Amino acid sequence: MTHPTTPTAVSRLLDSHRMGQERLRVLSASGQLGFGIVQESFERGLERKPHFIGCDMGSIDPGPFYLGSGQMAAPRDMVRRDLEMVLKAARQLNVPLIIGSAGTAGAKPHLEDTLSLLKEVAEANGLSFSVAIVLSDVPRNLLVQAIQHGHLKSLDESGASLNLPLPNEEQVMSASHIVAQCGTHTFMKALSQKPDVLIAGRSCDTAIFAALPQMLGYDAGLSLHMAKIIECTSLCCTPGGRDAILAELGEFDFFLESMNPAAHATPASVAAHALYEQSNPWIVEEPEGTLHLKQASYLALDSHRTQVSGAQFVPRSSPTLKVEGASHAGARAVLLAGVADPTMISIMPSALLEVSERVRKLVPGEWTMVPHLYGQGAVRQLAQAKRSLHEIGLVIEFLAPHAAMAKTAAAVFKQNLLHFGFAGRLTTGGNLAFAFTPSEIDANECYQFVLYHLLEGVSPEDVFGIELHQWNFDEAPA
Amino acid sequence: MVALLPDESMSQEALPLTDLANVIRSKNAGPLCFTVDLFFSNAQAYARAAQSEALQINSVAACYGLMATQVRRFELPHIFAIKLSMPRTVCAGNPGDGDLYGAQQHAPLLSLRL
Repeated sequence: MTHPTTPTAVSRLLDSHRMGQERLRVLSASGQLGFGIVQESFERGLERKPHFIGCDMGSIDPGPFYLGSGQMAAPRDMVRRDLEMVLKAARQLNVPLIIGSAGTAGAKPHLEDTLSLLKEVAEANGLSFSVAIVLSDVPRNLLVQAIQHGHLKSLDESGASLNLPLPNEEQVMSASHIVAQCGTHTFMKALSQKPDVLIAGRSCDTAIFAALPQMLGYDAGLSLHMAKIIECTSLCCTPGGRDAILAELGEFDFFLESMNPAAHATPASVAAHALYEQSNPWIVEEPEGTLHLKQASYLALDSHRTQVSGAQFVPRSSPTLKVEGASHAGARAVLLAGVADPTMISIMPSALLEVSERVRKLVPGEWTMVPHLYGQGAVRQLAQAKRSLHEIGLVIEFLAPHAAMAKTAAAVFKQNLLHFGFAGRLTTGGNLAFAFTPSEIDANECYQFVLYHLLEGVSPEDVFGIELHQWNFDEAPA
Repeated sequence: MVALLPDESMSQEALPLTDLANVIRSKNAGPLCFTVDLFFSNAQAYARAAQSEALQINSVAACYGLMATQVRRFELPHIFAIKLSMPRTVCAGNPGDGDLYGAQQHAPLLSLRL
Protein backbone atom coordinates (compact mmCIF):
# COMPACT_ATOMS: atom_id res chain seq x y z
CA MET A 1 0.00 0.00 0.00
CA THR A 2 1.35 3.43 -0.89
CA HIS A 3 0.69 6.61 1.05
CA PRO A 4 0.58 9.28 -1.65
CA THR A 5 -1.18 11.86 0.50
CA THR A 6 0.94 11.44 3.62
CA PRO A 7 3.46 14.25 3.93
CA THR A 8 7.02 12.96 3.76
CA ALA A 9 9.87 13.93 6.03
CA VAL A 10 11.29 16.34 3.45
CA SER A 11 7.94 17.94 2.60
CA ARG A 12 7.20 18.39 6.31
CA LEU A 13 10.50 20.16 6.86
CA LEU A 14 10.18 22.38 3.78
CA ASP A 15 6.61 23.33 4.74
CA SER A 16 7.18 23.90 8.44
CA HIS A 17 10.61 25.40 8.92
CA ARG A 18 10.93 29.17 8.59
CA MET A 19 14.39 30.70 8.57
CA GLY A 20 14.59 33.43 11.21
CA GLN A 21 12.01 31.81 13.49
CA GLU A 22 14.29 29.15 14.89
CA ARG A 23 17.71 27.77 14.03
CA LEU A 24 17.95 24.73 11.79
CA ARG A 25 19.33 21.84 13.83
CA VAL A 26 21.47 19.51 11.73
CA LEU A 27 22.71 16.27 13.24
CA SER A 28 25.75 14.67 11.63
CA ALA A 29 25.64 11.08 12.84
CA SER A 30 28.65 9.64 11.07
CA GLY A 31 31.59 10.66 8.93
CA GLN A 32 32.21 7.03 7.94
CA LEU A 33 28.96 5.14 8.22
CA GLY A 34 29.66 1.47 8.74
CA PHE A 35 32.54 1.77 11.18
CA GLY A 36 30.34 2.05 14.26
CA ILE A 37 28.30 5.09 15.26
CA VAL A 38 28.85 5.99 18.93
CA GLN A 39 25.40 5.24 20.33
CA GLU A 40 25.40 7.50 23.42
CA SER A 41 26.41 10.61 21.47
CA PHE A 42 23.95 9.88 18.68
CA GLU A 43 21.12 9.49 21.20
CA ARG A 44 22.07 12.78 22.85
CA GLY A 45 21.76 14.32 19.39
CA LEU A 46 18.30 12.84 18.92
CA GLU A 47 17.17 14.38 22.22
CA ARG A 48 17.86 17.76 20.62
CA LYS A 49 15.17 17.08 18.01
CA PRO A 50 17.26 17.59 14.86
CA HIS A 51 15.48 18.85 11.73
CA PHE A 52 17.41 16.30 9.71
CA ILE A 53 20.09 13.64 10.08
CA GLY A 54 23.01 13.25 7.69
CA CYS A 55 25.81 10.73 7.30
CA ASP A 56 28.83 10.56 5.06
CA MET A 57 29.64 7.02 4.03
CA GLY A 58 32.52 7.28 1.63
CA SER A 59 35.83 8.66 0.57
CA ILE A 60 38.54 8.19 -2.02
CA ASP A 61 41.09 7.82 0.80
CA PRO A 62 40.99 4.01 1.17
CA GLY A 63 42.43 3.77 -2.32
CA PRO A 64 41.43 2.48 -5.75
CA PHE A 65 40.51 -1.06 -4.65
CA TYR A 66 37.02 -0.17 -3.43
CA LEU A 67 36.06 1.95 -6.42
CA GLY A 68 37.53 -0.62 -8.79
CA SER A 69 36.12 -3.77 -7.19
CA GLY A 70 32.71 -2.39 -6.27
CA GLN A 71 33.23 -3.58 -2.68
CA MET A 72 32.54 -1.60 0.49
CA ALA A 73 35.43 -0.81 2.82
CA ALA A 74 33.23 -1.06 5.91
CA PRO A 75 32.21 -4.50 7.21
CA ARG A 76 28.64 -5.39 6.15
CA ASP A 77 27.44 -6.23 9.66
CA MET A 78 28.58 -2.87 10.93
CA VAL A 79 27.03 -1.07 7.95
CA ARG A 80 23.73 -2.81 8.72
CA ARG A 81 23.98 -1.83 12.41
CA ASP A 82 24.71 1.82 11.61
CA LEU A 83 22.00 2.01 8.95
CA GLU A 84 19.49 0.55 11.39
CA MET A 85 20.44 3.09 14.03
CA VAL A 86 20.01 6.13 11.78
CA LEU A 87 17.00 4.86 9.83
CA LYS A 88 14.99 3.97 12.94
CA ALA A 89 15.80 7.34 14.50
CA ALA A 90 14.92 9.33 11.39
CA ARG A 91 11.63 7.49 10.91
CA GLN A 92 10.74 7.83 14.58
CA LEU A 93 11.31 11.59 14.52
CA ASN A 94 9.90 11.73 10.98
CA VAL A 95 12.85 13.80 9.76
CA PRO A 96 14.87 13.42 6.56
CA LEU A 97 17.81 11.02 6.54
CA ILE A 98 20.51 11.87 4.01
CA ILE A 99 23.43 9.58 3.22
CA GLY A 100 26.15 10.45 0.73
CA SER A 101 28.87 8.40 -1.01
CA ALA A 102 27.02 5.15 -0.41
CA GLY A 103 29.12 2.05 0.17
CA THR A 104 32.54 3.80 0.27
CA ALA A 105 33.11 4.71 -3.38
CA GLY A 106 29.55 5.51 -4.48
CA ALA A 107 29.47 3.57 -7.76
CA LYS A 108 26.45 1.47 -8.76
CA PRO A 109 27.41 -1.74 -6.88
CA HIS A 110 28.14 0.30 -3.73
CA LEU A 111 24.80 2.04 -3.99
CA GLU A 112 22.98 -1.24 -4.61
CA ASP A 113 24.70 -2.90 -1.65
CA THR A 114 23.78 -0.01 0.62
CA LEU A 115 20.17 -0.03 -0.58
CA SER A 116 19.86 -3.76 -0.08
CA LEU A 117 21.13 -3.47 3.51
CA LEU A 118 18.79 -0.54 4.10
CA LYS A 119 15.92 -2.61 2.75
CA GLU A 120 16.80 -5.49 5.10
CA VAL A 121 16.72 -3.08 8.01
CA ALA A 122 13.43 -1.52 6.87
CA GLU A 123 11.86 -4.94 6.50
CA ALA A 124 13.08 -6.16 9.86
CA ASN A 125 11.64 -3.07 11.54
CA GLY A 126 8.41 -2.86 9.55
CA LEU A 127 9.17 0.60 8.20
CA SER A 128 7.54 2.24 5.19
CA PHE A 129 9.00 5.30 3.53
CA SER A 130 10.07 6.82 0.25
CA VAL A 131 13.71 6.79 -0.74
CA ALA A 132 15.31 8.96 -3.39
CA ILE A 133 18.54 7.74 -4.91
CA VAL A 134 21.23 9.47 -6.92
CA LEU A 135 23.36 7.44 -9.32
CA SER A 136 26.82 8.90 -9.74
CA ASP A 137 28.29 6.69 -12.45
CA VAL A 138 29.53 8.74 -15.39
CA PRO A 139 28.35 7.61 -18.85
CA ARG A 140 31.49 6.51 -20.72
CA ASN A 141 30.55 8.11 -24.03
CA LEU A 142 30.02 11.43 -22.36
CA LEU A 143 33.49 11.23 -20.86
CA VAL A 144 35.12 10.25 -24.15
CA GLN A 145 33.47 13.24 -25.82
CA ALA A 146 34.61 15.51 -23.02
CA ILE A 147 38.19 14.36 -23.51
CA GLN A 148 37.91 14.98 -27.26
CA HIS A 149 36.64 18.52 -26.58
CA GLY A 150 39.33 19.26 -24.03
CA HIS A 151 36.81 19.37 -21.18
CA LEU A 152 38.66 16.97 -18.91
CA LYS A 153 41.44 18.68 -16.98
CA SER A 154 43.94 18.28 -14.20
CA LEU A 155 42.39 19.10 -10.81
CA ASP A 156 45.33 21.01 -9.46
CA GLU A 157 47.59 22.97 -11.74
CA SER A 158 49.59 24.58 -8.93
CA GLY A 159 52.45 22.06 -9.24
CA ALA A 160 51.74 20.70 -5.75
CA SER A 161 50.07 17.61 -7.20
CA LEU A 162 51.44 14.63 -9.05
CA ASN A 163 50.26 14.69 -12.65
CA LEU A 164 47.83 11.89 -13.48
CA PRO A 165 47.75 11.75 -17.30
CA LEU A 166 44.41 12.11 -19.06
CA PRO A 167 43.12 8.65 -19.96
CA ASN A 168 42.60 7.73 -23.59
CA GLU A 169 39.33 6.41 -24.99
CA GLU A 170 40.27 2.78 -24.44
CA GLN A 171 41.19 3.42 -20.80
CA VAL A 172 37.87 5.17 -20.23
CA MET A 173 35.91 2.33 -21.80
CA SER A 174 37.81 -0.40 -19.93
CA ALA A 175 37.82 1.26 -16.48
CA SER A 176 36.06 -0.79 -13.81
CA HIS A 177 34.02 2.08 -12.40
CA ILE A 178 33.93 5.80 -13.05
CA VAL A 179 32.00 8.15 -10.79
CA ALA A 180 31.59 11.87 -10.40
CA GLN A 181 30.99 13.68 -7.12
CA CYS A 182 27.50 15.10 -7.24
CA GLY A 183 27.07 18.44 -5.57
CA THR A 184 24.52 20.41 -3.60
CA HIS A 185 22.38 21.19 -6.66
CA THR A 186 21.98 17.51 -7.53
CA PHE A 187 21.02 16.77 -3.92
CA MET A 188 18.49 19.64 -4.06
CA LYS A 189 17.03 18.18 -7.22
CA ALA A 190 16.68 14.75 -5.61
CA LEU A 191 15.21 16.29 -2.45
CA SER A 192 12.69 18.25 -4.51
CA GLN A 193 11.05 14.85 -5.09
CA LYS A 194 10.17 15.06 -1.37
CA PRO A 195 11.48 11.70 -0.15
CA ASP A 196 11.87 10.56 3.46
CA VAL A 197 15.36 9.22 2.84
CA LEU A 198 18.02 10.17 0.30
CA ILE A 199 20.84 7.76 -0.53
CA ALA A 200 23.34 9.14 -3.00
CA GLY A 201 26.21 7.51 -4.85
CA ARG A 202 29.51 9.40 -4.93
CA SER A 203 28.84 12.82 -3.45
CA CYS A 204 30.59 15.93 -2.31
CA ASP A 205 30.67 15.58 1.48
CA THR A 206 29.21 19.07 1.70
CA ALA A 207 26.10 18.28 -0.35
CA ILE A 208 24.79 15.93 2.35
CA PHE A 209 24.44 18.79 4.80
CA ALA A 210 24.18 21.91 2.60
CA ALA A 211 21.31 20.97 0.26
CA LEU A 212 18.34 21.14 2.65
CA PRO A 213 19.55 24.40 4.25
CA GLN A 214 19.85 26.02 0.83
CA MET A 215 16.35 24.83 -0.11
CA LEU A 216 15.17 26.57 3.06
CA GLY A 217 16.87 29.79 2.04
CA TYR A 218 20.01 29.70 4.15
CA ASP A 219 23.16 31.36 2.83
CA ALA A 220 25.20 29.11 0.54
CA GLY A 221 28.54 30.09 2.09
CA LEU A 222 27.36 29.42 5.64
CA SER A 223 25.60 26.16 4.70
CA LEU A 224 28.61 24.83 2.84
CA HIS A 225 31.06 25.83 5.55
CA MET A 226 28.88 24.17 8.18
CA ALA A 227 28.62 21.08 5.96
CA LYS A 228 32.37 20.96 5.37
CA ILE A 229 33.03 20.88 9.11
CA ILE A 230 30.30 18.54 10.33
CA GLU A 231 30.75 15.88 7.66
CA CYS A 232 33.65 14.64 9.83
CA THR A 233 31.41 14.69 12.96
CA SER A 234 33.44 15.63 16.06
CA LEU A 235 36.85 15.57 14.37
CA CYS A 236 36.83 19.39 14.59
CA CYS A 237 36.78 19.20 18.40
CA THR A 238 39.42 18.79 21.04
CA PRO A 239 39.94 15.98 21.63
CA GLY A 240 38.75 15.00 18.16
CA GLY A 241 36.49 12.01 17.85
CA ARG A 242 33.84 10.17 15.92
CA ASP A 243 30.86 11.26 17.99
CA ALA A 244 27.81 12.85 16.42
CA ILE A 245 27.89 16.63 16.17
CA LEU A 246 25.00 19.09 16.13
CA ALA A 247 25.09 22.28 14.06
CA GLU A 248 22.53 24.99 14.67
CA LEU A 249 22.32 27.12 11.56
CA GLY A 250 20.99 30.65 11.57
CA GLU A 251 20.79 33.49 9.06
CA PHE A 252 24.22 34.89 9.88
CA ASP A 253 26.19 32.14 11.61
CA PHE A 254 26.11 28.59 12.90
CA PHE A 255 26.90 26.97 16.23
CA LEU A 256 28.84 23.73 16.57
CA GLU A 257 28.34 21.40 19.49
CA SER A 258 29.70 17.88 19.87
CA MET A 259 27.22 15.40 21.29
CA ASN A 260 30.10 14.02 23.35
CA PRO A 261 30.29 16.29 26.40
CA ALA A 262 34.05 15.65 26.63
CA ALA A 263 34.82 16.78 23.04
CA HIS A 264 34.87 20.56 22.83
CA ALA A 265 34.43 22.61 19.69
CA THR A 266 36.80 25.51 20.40
CA PRO A 267 37.60 28.36 17.98
CA ALA A 268 41.12 26.99 17.54
CA SER A 269 40.06 23.37 17.04
CA VAL A 270 37.37 24.30 14.51
CA ALA A 271 39.64 26.68 12.60
CA ALA A 272 42.38 24.04 12.55
CA HIS A 273 39.97 21.55 11.01
CA ALA A 274 39.91 23.66 7.81
CA LEU A 275 43.45 22.40 7.17
CA TYR A 276 42.56 18.72 7.41
CA GLU A 277 43.11 16.82 4.14
CA GLN A 278 42.92 20.12 2.20
CA SER A 279 45.85 21.23 0.06
CA ASN A 280 44.63 24.83 0.31
CA PRO A 281 43.13 25.79 3.68
CA TRP A 282 41.27 28.83 2.35
CA ILE A 283 39.46 27.42 -0.64
CA VAL A 284 36.99 24.56 -1.13
CA GLU A 285 36.01 23.86 -4.72
CA GLU A 286 32.42 22.76 -5.21
CA PRO A 287 30.67 21.84 -8.47
CA GLU A 288 28.66 25.05 -8.27
CA GLY A 289 31.40 27.44 -7.22
CA THR A 290 34.16 28.19 -4.72
CA LEU A 291 33.86 28.43 -0.97
CA HIS A 292 36.27 30.99 0.49
CA LEU A 293 37.22 30.48 4.13
CA LYS A 294 39.84 33.19 4.64
CA GLN A 295 37.34 35.62 6.16
CA ALA A 296 35.70 33.00 8.40
CA SER A 297 35.62 33.84 12.07
CA TYR A 298 35.34 31.53 15.03
CA LEU A 299 34.11 32.68 18.45
CA ALA A 300 33.63 30.68 21.64
CA LEU A 301 30.01 30.58 22.77
CA ASP A 302 31.17 28.77 25.90
CA SER A 303 33.82 26.18 26.68
CA HIS A 304 32.02 23.52 24.61
CA ARG A 305 30.53 25.35 21.61
CA THR A 306 31.85 27.60 18.85
CA GLN A 307 30.05 30.15 16.69
CA VAL A 308 31.19 30.33 13.07
CA SER A 309 30.50 32.98 10.44
CA GLY A 310 32.08 34.77 7.51
CA ALA A 311 32.63 32.14 4.79
CA GLN A 312 31.84 33.40 1.28
CA PHE A 313 30.54 31.39 -1.63
CA VAL A 314 31.28 32.57 -5.16
CA PRO A 315 29.23 30.68 -7.76
CA ARG A 316 30.79 29.79 -11.11
CA SER A 317 29.04 30.26 -14.43
CA SER A 318 28.89 26.57 -15.33
CA PRO A 319 29.36 23.63 -12.97
CA THR A 320 32.51 21.52 -12.83
CA LEU A 321 32.62 17.94 -11.59
CA LYS A 322 35.34 15.93 -9.91
CA VAL A 323 35.63 12.57 -11.66
CA GLU A 324 37.17 9.44 -10.14
CA GLY A 325 37.88 6.21 -11.99
CA ALA A 326 39.73 2.97 -11.25
CA SER A 327 40.92 0.20 -13.52
CA HIS A 328 41.86 -3.40 -12.95
CA ALA A 329 45.63 -3.82 -12.93
CA GLY A 330 45.85 -7.55 -12.28
CA ALA A 331 45.93 -9.82 -9.27
CA ARG A 332 48.31 -9.32 -6.37
CA ALA A 333 50.18 -11.74 -4.13
CA VAL A 334 52.57 -10.63 -1.39
CA LEU A 335 55.56 -12.31 0.15
CA LEU A 336 56.37 -11.42 3.76
CA ALA A 337 59.73 -12.09 5.40
CA GLY A 338 62.30 -10.64 7.78
CA VAL A 339 66.06 -10.46 7.44
CA ALA A 340 68.54 -10.11 10.32
CA ASP A 341 71.83 -10.93 8.59
CA PRO A 342 73.73 -7.66 7.93
CA THR A 343 75.50 -8.98 4.83
CA MET A 344 72.26 -10.23 3.30
CA ILE A 345 70.65 -6.86 4.12
CA SER A 346 73.48 -4.96 2.45
CA ILE A 347 73.30 -7.00 -0.77
CA MET A 348 69.46 -7.12 -0.86
CA PRO A 349 69.01 -4.86 -3.93
CA SER A 350 71.30 -7.00 -6.09
CA ALA A 351 69.88 -10.23 -4.64
CA LEU A 352 66.36 -9.11 -5.63
CA LEU A 353 67.53 -8.34 -9.16
CA GLU A 354 69.30 -11.65 -9.63
CA VAL A 355 66.49 -13.70 -8.13
CA SER A 356 64.00 -11.85 -10.36
CA GLU A 357 65.95 -12.88 -13.43
CA ARG A 358 66.04 -16.51 -12.32
CA VAL A 359 62.34 -16.61 -11.49
CA ARG A 360 61.44 -14.97 -14.77
CA LYS A 361 62.98 -17.97 -16.54
CA LEU A 362 61.04 -20.37 -14.34
CA VAL A 363 57.64 -18.64 -14.26
CA PRO A 364 56.60 -17.42 -17.69
CA GLY A 365 54.03 -14.67 -18.11
CA GLU A 366 53.49 -10.96 -17.60
CA TRP A 367 54.14 -10.74 -13.88
CA THR A 368 55.93 -7.89 -12.12
CA MET A 369 57.63 -7.63 -8.75
CA VAL A 370 57.76 -4.54 -6.51
CA PRO A 371 59.81 -4.75 -3.29
CA HIS A 372 59.13 -2.77 -0.10
CA LEU A 373 62.15 -2.92 2.20
CA TYR A 374 60.97 -1.83 5.64
CA GLY A 375 63.80 -0.32 7.65
CA GLN A 376 65.49 0.77 4.44
CA GLY A 377 63.05 3.41 3.19
CA ALA A 378 59.82 1.62 2.30
CA VAL A 379 57.62 4.34 3.74
CA ARG A 380 59.63 7.11 2.18
CA GLN A 381 63.18 7.39 0.90
CA LEU A 382 65.79 7.17 3.66
CA ALA A 383 69.34 8.48 3.60
CA GLN A 384 71.90 5.68 3.52
CA ALA A 385 73.06 6.51 7.06
CA LYS A 386 69.56 6.04 8.43
CA ARG A 387 68.89 2.66 6.85
CA SER A 388 68.70 -0.27 9.23
CA LEU A 389 71.39 -2.92 8.95
CA HIS A 390 70.29 -5.03 11.89
CA GLU A 391 66.83 -6.13 10.84
CA ILE A 392 64.59 -5.32 7.93
CA GLY A 393 61.10 -6.33 6.91
CA LEU A 394 60.54 -7.49 3.38
CA VAL A 395 57.17 -7.11 1.66
CA ILE A 396 57.27 -8.03 -1.99
CA GLU A 397 54.27 -7.40 -4.24
CA PHE A 398 53.70 -9.66 -7.23
CA LEU A 399 51.24 -8.48 -9.85
CA ALA A 400 50.05 -10.78 -12.60
CA PRO A 401 47.13 -11.07 -15.00
CA HIS A 402 45.59 -13.70 -12.72
CA ALA A 403 45.92 -14.75 -9.08
CA ALA A 404 47.46 -18.16 -9.74
CA MET A 405 50.39 -16.67 -11.65
CA ALA A 406 51.00 -14.03 -8.96
CA LYS A 407 51.02 -16.72 -6.28
CA THR A 408 53.32 -18.98 -8.30
CA ALA A 409 55.79 -16.17 -8.90
CA ALA A 410 55.73 -15.31 -5.17
CA ALA A 411 56.31 -18.92 -4.08
CA VAL A 412 59.16 -19.55 -6.51
CA PHE A 413 60.70 -16.18 -5.66
CA LYS A 414 60.54 -16.98 -1.95
CA GLN A 415 62.43 -20.23 -2.31
CA ASN A 416 65.09 -18.71 -4.57
CA LEU A 417 65.67 -15.75 -2.28
CA LEU A 418 65.77 -18.01 0.78
CA HIS A 419 68.62 -20.01 -0.67
CA PHE A 420 70.29 -17.28 -2.73
CA GLY A 421 74.07 -17.69 -2.62
CA PHE A 422 76.37 -14.67 -2.51
CA ALA A 423 80.00 -13.86 -1.83
CA GLY A 424 80.77 -13.81 1.89
CA ARG A 425 77.58 -15.68 2.79
CA LEU A 426 77.60 -17.05 6.34
CA THR A 427 73.89 -17.71 6.54
CA THR A 428 73.80 -20.94 4.55
CA GLY A 429 70.74 -22.22 6.42
CA GLY A 430 68.58 -19.59 4.69
CA ASN A 431 68.49 -15.84 4.08
CA LEU A 432 64.95 -15.15 5.27
CA ALA A 433 62.94 -15.39 8.49
CA PHE A 434 59.25 -16.21 8.10
CA ALA A 435 56.73 -15.38 10.78
CA PHE A 436 54.14 -17.81 9.46
CA THR A 437 53.40 -20.26 6.73
CA PRO A 438 52.48 -19.94 3.92
CA SER A 439 54.51 -16.74 3.70
CA GLU A 440 53.14 -15.80 0.29
CA ILE A 441 49.57 -14.57 0.44
CA ASP A 442 46.82 -13.78 -2.04
CA ALA A 443 46.28 -10.05 -1.74
CA ASN A 444 43.14 -9.51 -3.80
CA GLU A 445 42.70 -8.03 -7.21
CA CYS A 446 44.69 -4.85 -7.81
CA TYR A 447 43.18 -1.61 -9.08
CA GLN A 448 44.70 1.74 -9.95
CA PHE A 449 43.24 5.20 -10.25
CA VAL A 450 43.07 6.20 -13.91
CA LEU A 451 40.88 9.22 -13.32
CA TYR A 452 41.04 11.94 -10.73
CA HIS A 453 40.23 14.93 -12.88
CA LEU A 454 38.00 17.91 -13.36
CA LEU A 455 35.16 17.62 -15.86
CA GLU A 456 33.91 20.86 -17.39
CA GLY A 457 31.23 21.78 -19.88
CA VAL A 458 28.90 18.97 -18.88
CA SER A 459 25.50 19.37 -17.31
CA PRO A 460 25.13 17.47 -14.01
CA GLU A 461 21.67 16.41 -15.28
CA ASP A 462 23.41 14.38 -17.99
CA VAL A 463 25.63 12.62 -15.46
CA PHE A 464 23.55 11.94 -12.37
CA GLY A 465 20.41 9.81 -12.42
CA ILE A 466 17.70 10.41 -9.83
CA GLU A 467 15.06 7.84 -8.88
CA LEU A 468 12.31 7.77 -6.27
CA HIS A 469 11.13 4.53 -4.72
CA GLN A 470 8.41 3.76 -2.21
CA TRP A 471 9.19 0.95 0.23
CA ASN A 472 6.37 -0.55 2.26
CA PHE A 473 7.15 -2.92 5.08
CA ASP A 474 4.31 -2.10 7.45
CA GLU A 475 3.67 -5.76 8.16
CA ALA A 476 6.50 -6.34 10.58
CA PRO A 477 7.44 -9.99 10.89
CA ALA A 478 6.23 -11.43 14.18
CA MET B 1 68.70 13.78 3.69
CA VAL B 2 67.60 16.59 5.96
CA ALA B 3 68.50 20.22 5.48
CA LEU B 4 69.72 21.85 8.67
CA LEU B 5 69.55 25.54 8.10
CA PRO B 6 69.54 27.43 11.40
CA ASP B 7 68.35 30.98 11.00
CA GLU B 8 71.39 33.19 11.52
CA SER B 9 69.25 36.26 12.10
CA MET B 10 68.03 34.80 15.36
CA SER B 11 70.14 35.43 18.35
CA GLN B 12 68.76 32.43 20.20
CA GLU B 13 70.07 28.97 19.55
CA ALA B 14 68.07 26.93 17.03
CA LEU B 15 65.45 24.73 18.68
CA PRO B 16 64.08 21.39 17.50
CA LEU B 17 60.82 21.65 15.56
CA THR B 18 59.49 18.86 17.79
CA ASP B 19 59.89 21.18 20.82
CA LEU B 20 58.08 24.07 19.14
CA ALA B 21 55.16 22.29 17.49
CA ASN B 22 52.45 20.27 19.19
CA VAL B 23 51.14 18.75 15.96
CA ILE B 24 53.28 17.67 13.00
CA ARG B 25 51.05 15.67 10.69
CA SER B 26 50.81 14.66 7.06
CA LYS B 27 47.84 13.35 5.09
CA ASN B 28 46.73 12.96 1.51
CA ALA B 29 44.72 15.79 0.03
CA GLY B 30 43.38 13.56 -2.73
CA PRO B 31 45.42 10.69 -4.21
CA LEU B 32 47.94 12.95 -5.97
CA CYS B 33 48.98 15.35 -3.23
CA PHE B 34 49.90 15.28 0.43
CA THR B 35 49.79 18.10 2.89
CA VAL B 36 51.72 18.71 6.10
CA ASP B 37 50.17 20.69 8.94
CA LEU B 38 52.37 22.17 11.64
CA PHE B 39 50.62 23.57 14.70
CA PHE B 40 52.73 25.58 17.13
CA SER B 41 52.26 25.89 20.85
CA ASN B 42 52.10 29.69 21.04
CA ALA B 43 52.59 32.95 19.14
CA GLN B 44 56.31 33.02 19.88
CA ALA B 45 56.90 29.52 18.57
CA TYR B 46 54.78 30.29 15.51
CA ALA B 47 56.71 33.51 14.82
CA ARG B 48 60.03 31.69 15.04
CA ALA B 49 58.77 28.98 12.68
CA ALA B 50 57.22 31.40 10.19
CA GLN B 51 60.53 33.26 9.89
CA SER B 52 62.76 30.21 10.01
CA GLU B 53 64.86 29.40 6.96
CA ALA B 54 64.25 25.67 7.47
CA LEU B 55 60.54 26.01 6.75
CA GLN B 56 60.83 28.28 3.72
CA ILE B 57 59.65 26.77 0.46
CA ASN B 58 63.19 26.22 -0.88
CA SER B 59 64.34 24.36 2.21
CA VAL B 60 61.22 22.22 2.43
CA ALA B 61 61.54 21.35 -1.26
CA ALA B 62 65.18 20.32 -0.72
CA CYS B 63 64.17 18.27 2.30
CA TYR B 64 61.66 16.31 0.21
CA GLY B 65 63.76 16.15 -2.94
CA LEU B 66 61.29 18.39 -4.83
CA MET B 67 61.53 21.61 -6.80
CA ALA B 68 60.46 24.82 -5.05
CA THR B 69 57.61 25.21 -7.56
CA GLN B 70 56.12 21.95 -6.27
CA VAL B 71 55.69 23.14 -2.69
CA ARG B 72 52.89 25.43 -1.55
CA ARG B 73 53.11 27.08 1.83
CA PHE B 74 50.28 28.70 3.77
CA GLU B 75 50.62 30.73 6.96
CA LEU B 76 47.74 30.78 9.44
CA PRO B 77 48.92 33.06 12.24
CA HIS B 78 45.57 33.18 14.06
CA ILE B 79 45.84 29.47 14.85
CA PHE B 80 49.69 29.37 14.92
CA ALA B 81 49.80 26.99 11.96
CA ILE B 82 51.83 26.50 8.80
CA LYS B 83 50.65 24.25 5.98
CA LEU B 84 52.88 22.75 3.31
CA SER B 85 51.35 20.96 0.31
CA MET B 86 53.31 18.94 -2.23
CA PRO B 87 52.96 16.14 -4.77
CA ARG B 88 53.00 12.47 -3.86
CA THR B 89 55.73 10.41 -5.50
CA VAL B 90 53.18 7.87 -6.80
CA CYS B 91 49.41 7.97 -7.03
CA ALA B 92 47.83 6.61 -3.83
CA GLY B 93 47.34 2.85 -4.00
CA ASN B 94 49.46 2.27 -7.10
CA PRO B 95 51.83 -0.71 -6.98
CA GLY B 96 54.89 0.46 -5.09
CA ASP B 97 53.04 3.03 -2.99
CA GLY B 98 54.33 2.77 0.57
CA ASP B 99 51.91 5.15 2.28
CA LEU B 100 48.32 4.97 1.04
CA TYR B 101 47.02 7.75 3.29
CA GLY B 102 50.19 9.83 3.17
CA ALA B 103 50.07 9.82 6.96
CA GLN B 104 53.82 9.25 7.52
CA GLN B 105 55.24 11.80 5.11
CA HIS B 106 55.94 14.29 7.89
CA ALA B 107 58.98 12.28 8.99
CA PRO B 108 61.69 14.31 7.16
CA LEU B 109 60.64 17.41 9.11
CA LEU B 110 61.03 15.82 12.54
CA SER B 111 64.76 16.48 12.76
CA LEU B 112 64.58 20.15 11.69
CA ARG B 113 65.87 22.83 14.01
CA LEU B 114 64.35 26.29 13.80
